[in-house]
Amino acid sequence: MREVELRIGSEMAEIGTLRDALDALAAELGIGMRPLMQLQVALDEVVSNLIKYAWDDGGRHEILVRIRAGADQVELEIVDDGRAFDPLAAPAPEPPPAGKRPRPGGLGIHMVKQLVDQFAYERIAGRNHTRLVKSCAVGAIGGRKEE
Amino acid sequence: MNNSALSIGETRAGSVCVVTLAGRIDSSNANDVMAALTRLITAGEKSILVDLGAVLYLTSAAFRALLVATDEAERQAARFALCSLAGHVRELFEMGGLTEVFAIHESREDALRQLG
Repeated sequence: MREVELRIGSEMAEIGTLRDALDALAAELGIGMRPLMQLQVALDEVVSNLIKYAWDDGGRHEILVRIRAGADQVELEIVDDGRAFDPLAAPAPEPPPAGKRPRPGGLGIHMVKQLVDQFAYERIAGRNHTRLVKSCAVGAIGGRKEE
Repeated sequence: MNNSALSIGETRAGSVCVVTLAGRIDSSNANDVMAALTRLITAGEKSILVDLGAVLYLTSAAFRALLVATDEAERQAARFALCSLAGHVRELFEMGGLTEVFAIHESREDALRQLG
């Protein structure tokens, strides 16, 4: 088991820090390109949603991300002190009116549900804990090359 | 802003302006894509092709940028199309239920035949 803990401020530009850390860990541990890309998208969706909606005081808040890699799965835990929000309870995107293009509201969370194998939420001591688990081979030789 | 993960290139193929995106399009840089595309449309480009062949992944923020550009193109009577979706990029479009929403061409050549 390998665990990495990251703390970022609640600003979109800081998402790059998470992206780079997850890339580096995947390269080090040998996580395949496809699960890595799926984890990157899922992490971005959850964290960007927090940055947009979790706080309304305009201040800078901390978001904690723990990445845990086991032999056959990668777990991402995102912890924040924003308003209670259960992404699993969020409604699916509304189908667009006839002849109209869909608006992407709710699309990110809808994608996360399809990208990971487990998606869990708990409110613990005033904090949101969002957990994403992707089953994938960790340590596969040449994992970065596979599609 | 950390934009090292994304590059945005522009070339011209006859009357078509080809925008080549490479890398990752996520919440930290999707606004740059939106800005680049809306700038081209408001500058009067009438045929814009976005080549996604070198994109590793994109998030819902990128879809939002592409939807905004599609709307803007429609308002300006410009044609706006995408091409060269690689396997897992296409999967992301499918997850978002967006494959029917955009004009998507298999390859740049196919797209230019229809747009040019």
